[in-house]
Amino acid sequence: MHEIASLDRSRRTDSLGELAPRAAKTAWIVGGAGLALAVLSAVFFDDGWRHFNYSYLVNYAFYLSISLGALSFVALQHATRAGWSVTFRRLNEILAANMPLMAILFIPLALSLFLPAAAPYVWANPDLAEHSPLVQHKQPFLNVPFFLLRSAIYLGLWIWMARFFFTRSIRQDVSGDPELTVQMERFSGPIILLFALTTTFASFDWLMSVEPEWFSSIYGVYYYGGATVGGLAAAILAAMAAQRAGYAAQSITTEHYHDMGKLLFAFVVFWGYIAFSQYMLIWYANIPEETTWYLDRQSSAWLPASIALLLGHLFIPFLGMISREVKRRKVLLGFWCVWLLAFHWLDMFYLVMPSFASDRFPLGLIDLGLLVGLGGLYVGGLLRTAANVALVPTKDPRLPEALAFENL
Amino acid sequence: MADHASHNTPDSSETRVAAVLGRFDTAAGLKAAAEKVRDEGYRKWDSHSPFPVHGIERAMGIRPTILPLLVFGAGLTGAIVAMFLQWWTNAVDYPFLISGKPFFSVPANIPVAFELIILFSALTAFGGALILNQLPQFHHPVFASEAFRRATSDGFFISIEAGDPKFDERKTAAFLESIGAAVELCRVPAAKPAIPKAIPWAITFVAALALLPPLGVAWYRASVKREPRIHPLHDMAFQPKYKAQSENDRFADRRAMRPPVAGTIAQGGLMLDTALFQGKDSEGNYVADLPVPVEESVMLRGRERFNIYCAPCHGYSGGLPEGAAGDGDPRSWDGMVSIRASQRALTGDGTWTPPRALHSDYVQDQPDGKLFETITAGVNNQGVQSMPGYAKQISVEDRWAIILYLRAIGRSRNAAADDVPETQRTADTGGNR
Amino acid sequence: MSSGAVTANDNTLSDPRHRAPLVAGKQDYASITETVCRIAERDKTPRAWYVAFAVSASLTGMLFLLIGYLFITGVGVWGNNSPVFWGWPIVNFVFWVGIGHAGTLISAILFLFRQQWRTSINRFAEAMTIFAVCCAGIFPGIHIGRIWCVYWLAPYPNQMEMWPNFRSPLLWDVFAVSTYATVSALFWYLGMIPDLATLRDRATNPWRRLAYGTFALGWRGSARQWHRYERAYLLLAALATPLVLSVHSVVSFDFAVSQVPGWHTTIFPPYFVAGAIFSGFAMVVTLMVPARAFFGLKELVTLRHLENMNKIILATSCIVGYAYATEFFIAWYSGSQYELFAFLNRALGPYKWAYWTMVFCNVVVPHLFWFKKCRTTPWIMMIVAILVNVGMWFERFVIIVTSLSRDFLPSSWGAFVPTPIDVAMFVGSFGLFFTLFLLFCRYLPMVAMAEVKAAVSHGIEGHGH
Repeated sequence: MHEIASLDRSRRTDSLGELAPRAAKTAWIVGGAGLALAVLSAVFFDDGWRHFNYSYLVNYAFYLSISLGALSFVALQHATRAGWSVTFRRLNEILAANMPLMAILFIPLALSLFLPAAAPYVWANPDLAEHSPLVQHKQPFLNVPFFLLRSAIYLGLWIWMARFFFTRSIRQDVSGDPELTVQMERFSGPIILLFALTTTFASFDWLMSVEPEWFSSIYGVYYYGGATVGGLAAAILAAMAAQRAGYAAQSITTEHYHDMGKLLFAFVVFWGYIAFSQYMLIWYANIPEETTWYLDRQSSAWLPASIALLLGHLFIPFLGMISREVKRRKVLLGFWCVWLLAFHWLDMFYLVMPSFASDRFPLGLIDLGLLVGLGGLYVGGLLRTAANVALVPTKDPRLPEALAFENL
Repeated sequence: MADHASHNTPDSSETRVAAVLGRFDTAAGLKAAAEKVRDEGYRKWDSHSPFPVHGIERAMGIRPTILPLLVFGAGLTGAIVAMFLQWWTNAVDYPFLISGKPFFSVPANIPVAFELIILFSALTAFGGALILNQLPQFHHPVFASEAFRRATSDGFFISIEAGDPKFDERKTAAFLESIGAAVELCRVPAAKPAIPKAIPWAITFVAALALLPPLGVAWYRASVKREPRIHPLHDMAFQPKYKAQSENDRFADRRAMRPPVAGTIAQGGLMLDTALFQGKDSEGNYVADLPVPVEESVMLRGRERFNIYCAPCHGYSGGLPEGAAGDGDPRSWDGMVSIRASQRALTGDGTWTPPRALHSDYVQDQPDGKLFETITAGVNNQGVQSMPGYAKQISVEDRWAIILYLRAIGRSRNAAADDVPETQRTADTGGNR
Repeated sequence: MSSGAVTANDNTLSDPRHRAPLVAGKQDYASITETVCRIAERDKTPRAWYVAFAVSASLTGMLFLLIGYLFITGVGVWGNNSPVFWGWPIVNFVFWVGIGHAGTLISAILFLFRQQWRTSINRFAEAMTIFAVCCAGIFPGIHIGRIWCVYWLAPYPNQMEMWPNFRSPLLWDVFAVSTYATVSALFWYLGMIPDLATLRDRATNPWRRLAYGTFALGWRGSARQWHRYERAYLLLAALATPLVLSVHSVVSFDFAVSQVPGWHTTIFPPYFVAGAIFSGFAMVVTLMVPARAFFGLKELVTLRHLENMNKIILATSCIVGYAYATEFFIAWYSGSQYELFAFLNRALGPYKWAYWTMVFCNVVVPHLFWFKKCRTTPWIMMIVAILVNVGMWFERFVIIVTSLSRDFLPSSWGAFVPTPIDVAMFVGSFGLFFTLFLLFCRYLPMVAMAEVKAAVSHGIEGHGH
């Protein structure tokens, strides 16, 4: 039977061990340097702190989306009792388990609420809110204490969900107890429900309320679509990096990359579908209170970004990834993952930054510094989590099925 | 039709072996055997199974089909056709504005483009699979075998056809037996079966019948009919109602259109304010003052209406100077209708009564009420309607506004140097009138 | 799998170490063929079939008589009025087209996701799709009033020198629904060719042989044919998946591109798609539970199949509930008084009974499926599925009637009351649906035999290759 052979083949799925602390240290140093660059730029540039806060939100939403995408992936695999994806699940569990770090990184955003003039949330600024009846209408929902309470609930729930899957999966590495799988499957349904609600309202609160007078009921689904693209791309790249370093070399095969590539392709299309639905309905109905959002993004300063997103986040990867061969070649698949992560970052930038400056495309050193800075902290957190766990769930009852799997 | 029985009838005098068929019990057995047949170097052969056997393409050495490429091409064609169709029909050939959208609205064209991409691709995938598989194909040597019927239920077969260069009835059969098959020979009639005569006749007959409807349509379109068209569905052509100018026997006068009850006044038709609506006071004397407020907005409105309705004949300036009237030189006229009409009157082409100069004392000395009556009813001198009435074109308030503007024309055309404020006098205005 | 043949009878247990068997009982290739084919082949049609067919065929006849009456008299026979210009006909259209989504979804999306349990139910669900789309197509067709001018919807060069308006969502609908009907029918037929060949090869009566043989197109099950066939099937599945999404999204555009309060909200496209899948799966369960008992298919369409479908019903119910909640929240959050009124009017206005029926059936009842007992007990799932169908019909009723009857201007508010013709036509459409369905059950292979065989071949032949 497959079991014996497969376990034999997957012996090199050891944890990172010694390597992890060293790599994490490097990541933190790089991250610290990035943050320092961003802070210095904020001090020296005009309007720098306001730019810093907006840009921090962009990058926070970007890294958070990777963890959220990974968390939803894990929950979905359990809910569907999937066998093919077992070899990829641990990497996603590690990505999701970075959630406590994301909770810590939320603190600067929370603090920014108390500096109304520089906060990305203009509704928190009583002087501005006074002039907008719409913002006043939303005060029962958009006020600082309730906002912070909700944020704490989202982050708390996500930390619990990520830990729920992570700890049980780790425990199974030792005991091989199939009951743990059954337990995770049983909880995955309610967790997905909670995940959908928290992600939706988190995206409303943290991203949509940047433009407090604007609203779109599909916004949560839009953010989720982008987050899954980010999460899948990051997981594929993580697997490639691990394999380059000599880990999990036998267990993650071309077949798994192919399937992850297909899923990534599907979510690229899904994102396009959601983005088009939102644009189409607002464009066609042409109601002033809604079109303002897109008018900013079609201004001469932002139109190139909008078109870049349409091409780079949908059409080009669609054509580029449609072929079976592309998804089976690591170099090509890796290229598209990097590409999609870049455009996913642009998507976050596009969601937030026109509220900071609608008359120019405000890409600068601050954004670069924060991208590298938060990225360094994020990768460092990942490496710390990954230090003592195997990169593949070695005793998952469905691992043999995943290892034996072949695409037709 | 795959009618097996007809091939093996005992009275078909001569038969030949068209294929050798070997049966296997399992899909795995079939796959293993397929590898051996491939290695043996056969070309015209195939394996048959009730379901697609995983990995048999590799075992048989089948090259991947070009179907995906065809479908990709069809999808591209669908996109181009859809975008061209929508651009040509809605932006070029029949542009019309609807809900404020541009004629060529790309977001609104995406759904149809998407559907056509799918439609073209799906038709190609389906049609391509049939054509590449050479289906429908109702005759094939393997259908001669009774046992082959199990190929769609639980039998696994390899067939090697007589057309194969390596084919040899006995050797091939022996080879198949050697790799574990239960072998059968597929015998078909040596001569090609004749097509029953009824079939071409039936096809011709159906084709002729199919021609009738289009012929009928063409005939009706080309010919002229005197009778009214047939109404299979009423299509709102016959409605239970009386139309204007038609008869109705219920009434003594048999008119379907009924006059209003005597004394009926339409909403807003009472017009009790005689000063406003007739320009006369209750005793029938012309009013001397405007019954509307004298304001700048009324003056501007009056100028605008004047330039539309009065200026074509009277000219923007109100007419030529006193004494110049009737000198017969059309170029001295202001107002394009007057210029053109007097030109034609000069050549004897009709007659033309020149309009009054509006700044003349004759006009300016009349009370406002009289001017109102003139605009309302026009000017009729001994049966000659030299100016039409404008009651239909110009609303009551606008007529008063025009009168206000007439007074302004009178003032400005008859102005003296003293009328110009001292601070604004120049050499021109300082001289005589 | 260690056992040579598939033996377990209860396959609803979940042990992650083993995949549950796809079919129950001891099956081999011949027994699968026999189980499926004997339904279409039996000489004597059961009396129950005749009774059911007589009822549904008479209802179909009533539907077409009423359509004739509609042609002659005009659309005034319906309760449609000003301001409720879209009454039951559009409610019924969206209801049926929604039901028509499960078939292609089961076939295409589950195929792409390699969910092999689909093989037992996909044929059945695809047939249901096509019949539901037939019912759906009737309503907007007759709703245009002068149906003899229906060809004006097609972009063809004509002596009027006019072209259809491609900027109108109603024309998108024409393209979407007709494409969907075409592609679903192709997908269904392509999947059925090998099974028709099976029926052809088993036929003893020459007329049956002629009929099945004609439609089997001379299929020989050769490896070269299978190769292209499988590729075509995969391509059609890959095309049908976005098509399913697009069709109901386009239907949602009919509403959402407008500015009518309660219609114009950006979540409509995915929300409509989820609702369509929800109602479609409910309809499959409603039909499958009695059909598998009546036609002796319990071993091929197992409790596990039904349980899986019930899980999808639960999941889509949650999505639909999520959309209801989001809509309501955004209606308040938007600060638009019209939007908020539209939703309060749904919940508290004159049609609140319809709204709360919808919420109860679509959001409350399916939560029974969190319990395994409810997911695996046929009569419970049957009741839930029927209630879901009721709820989804009311969803469309609520969306169309509440929003149209009370929009911006209170002086032009109105109410909608269906006429008996409305009701009879809706009932008649069920007659058409069941007529087609009974014919399908009687004469065509209800289960995709070739696909089931491929899916269980490993179990039948053992692992020794």
